[in-house]
This record gives sequence, structure tokens and C-alpha cells, in this order.
Amino acid sequence: MEWSIILFIFTLLIGIISPVSGVGGGVLFVPLSTIIFPFHVDFIRGAGLVMAVTSALSSVPYLTKIGLANIRIFALMAPVMIITSVVGGIIGLKVTSAFPGGKYYIEIMLGAIILLVFAVMMLSKRLEFPEVRDEEVDGWSRALGLRGEWFEPSLGRIVRFQVKNTPLSLVVFAIIGFVAGMFGLGAGWANVPVLNMLMGAPIKVATATSMLIITANAPAIGIYLTKGAILPSIVIPAVVGITIGARIGAKVAEIIKPVFVRWMVLAILFLAGFMNVIKGLQGLGVIPHIIPGA
Amino acid sequence: MAEERKIQVDEMGLVFGKTMIIFTVLGVIMMVIPAILYFLGIRPYIPLAEVSKYWTGSAAEFWRQVKGFEVHGYGWIFKNLGYMDTLSMLGVLLLMITPLISMLAAVFKAPSLTYRILLLVGAAEFIISLLFKTK
Repeated sequence: MEWSIILFIFTLLIGIISPVSGVGGGVLFVPLSTIIFPFHVDFIRGAGLVMAVTSALSSVPYLTKIGLANIRIFALMAPVMIITSVVGGIIGLKVTSAFPGGKYYIEIMLGAIILLVFAVMMLSKRLEFPEVRDEEVDGWSRALGLRGEWFEPSLGRIVRFQVKNTPLSLVVFAIIGFVAGMFGLGAGWANVPVLNMLMGAPIKVATATSMLIITANAPAIGIYLTKGAILPSIVIPAVVGITIGARIGAKVAEIIKPVFVRWMVLAILFLAGFMNVIKGLQGLGVIPHIIPGA
Repeated sequence: MAEERKIQVDEMGLVFGKTMIIFTVLGVIMMVIPAILYFLGIRPYIPLAEVSKYWTGSAAEFWRQVKGFEVHGYGWIFKNLGYMDTLSMLGVLLLMITPLISMLAAVFKAPSLTYRILLLVGAAEFIISLLFKTK
């Protein structure tokens, strides 16, 4: 029972951070939980996916209403990500059940991917209000009217945007869906840079639309449910915590400064990635135990 | 703030969002209420003490230890709805299909045939994925 209370408080904090950063709850929950909690990674990945989707479901309606979450981009990306996230989920579970020490390999790969995301986000310049000129807008984006607007309180005016590089983004989203399904991560960690840097969506639109796209990962929950990898004693405190937190976080996302979001996410990603690699290497006996309890 | 009201938001998005919030709230309620009863020790399929004893093992190992079999498909949920822990999984199932319901609702407010097709393709893939998982 005490683990359930700790889990609730832990996920409440993740829930607040999640809509603010556009990073789904899963990417923060899964790696940190494998370090903090005693549950097997199967249960953590299952809970992580339910959390990521629930967190997105809780905040998306409000973000859609204020124009930050763009349904047009979602409608285009969802068919690609649904299929690839399910394939990724199947392969992830096969690795842990078919190979001895598979759990540790998954942890190392998860850590490596998170550190890669950290490096991409650290080295790239995120754009708060990128300008996408009319001549940069690709044919798909133009034909589908991939544009929108929202009221930006920090500027005191309505900001309008349009996006570019749509075909390439579709390919990248397919890869993201696969990796997200495999590790039970949600996909916000990668959606945000793609929407912001590749497609040229403003950072707040990218984070909000990322939450919308994460809902397309919902079928992957079925993989964990059908294997019995979703346990109420883990999932319920986690989901209740993140649901309450996400409602708070969606309000905070509207007023918080984008630069603060960036540094907060970077710090968490580095910590999570590093700890997972260390934990996996410990499990395989490659390095001595340096993280207590891991 | 008056300017905020002038923002053009797709009707498709608004319907999607409204549908989503309704079913999310329903899903969370369906999941949480039986779970609270479960935490209070009422009609557990797997007692809490058993869960915490074996949750360090993989999902397959866990089920072998606590029930003597491995779980495949959704049958274990529907066959055991009299137990609070499995009943709460119905809420998870509803949350899982909430994006599908929202997509289908948004189809009716899609701004063009292309978007109607995209949403229907997404919904069809969603259903196929779910059916594939029950195999």
C-alpha cells in the first residue's frame, strides 16, 4: 500500500510537468520508475502507456479548445503512428520474454534512446515562434490547410502559424510510433522536436499537438492488457495521480515561459537516460552496483 | 481576453475534444471506483499481498506464480468481472478506445472529404489493431 501512495505522489508531479513540456507522462514515468520502484519493467511499461494516454486524454480537450492542439496535424499523423506503435509494442514484449536478461537490454536501449533525445534537444535550437514563409509550405500542408492560431498571453495577441516538410515528418512519425510502442513511452519526447524543428510549428503548438498525437498510441495498451501486464495496484495510483496533475499542468502550460519548459525537460531526460543505462549495465553485471536498490 | 474569443478553431477539433473529455471521465470513474473497493480488500481476483509478492517478475512469470497460467487476450477480464481488480480493467478498456470514439465523432464535423477519409482510416486502423491484439 505504501508503494501505491508513493506512486500517486510521484505521478501527480509527472502529470503537472507533462502538458507543460509536451513530453508524455510515460517518458518520465518509465525510466524513473524502473529506478525507484520494485515492479518488473513489463508492469512499468504497461502502466507508463496507460498513463501517457490518460494524461493526453485529460489535457487535449482544453488544449484543442484554445487552438494550441491542432486536430488537422493529428488527423494526418494518427494513421501512421497507430500501426507502428502496435508493432513496436509486440516486439518489446517479445524481447523481455524470449531472451535471458532481456529486461536489462531493454533498459539500456531505453536509456540510450532517451540520451539521444536529450542530445538532439540540447544541440538543436527550439523555436518559440518560428516563421514558416509561404514558399516553404509544402504541397501536402497547403492542400490540407495545416495551419491554425491561438491567443498568446505573453504577446497579448493572436499568433497564426503554418507548417512545412509534411511528407518527411510522416516518415519520422512512423519511426517514433514504433519506438514509443516498444518502450511504452508515449511519444511526446520525439513529437515535440519534430513538430517544432522539422515542421516549424511554434513550441506551444508543438507541445499541445504532441499530446494530441500521443492519444494515437492508445491501441498499444491492448498489448499490455492482453498479456496481463496492467495491474490495478500499479496503474490506478499512477493514472489518478497523472490525471489530476495533467489538469493542473494544462492550465500551467498556457502561462509558463517556453524557455523554462525546455530546461526542465532536458534535465529530467538526462537523469532518466543516464540512470537507465547504468541500471541495465548493473543488471548484466558489466559494472558493479553503484545505484542503491537498482 | 476578448480577442481570445475571435480565434478560429476547427469544429472538427472541438467535437473531438468534447467527446474525448466525456469518455475519459467515464473511463477514469469506471477504473477508479472498483479499484478503491479492491484496495479495501473487497472481492479481489488477485489479493494485494500476492501482487506485491510477485510483481518483480515479468508479466508471464507473475501470472504463472499467482494463478498457475499465463494470460492471453481480453478473456481474463470479461470472465472475471465479479472481481473488483478485473472490473477496473473495463475502465482501462474504455480509455483505450476513447480516441477511436472521438475520431468517429469528429468525422461528422470534418472540413473536407480528405479529413473524413483520414479520420476513418485512423479509426479503421485503430479497430484492426485492437482485434489483432485479441488473437
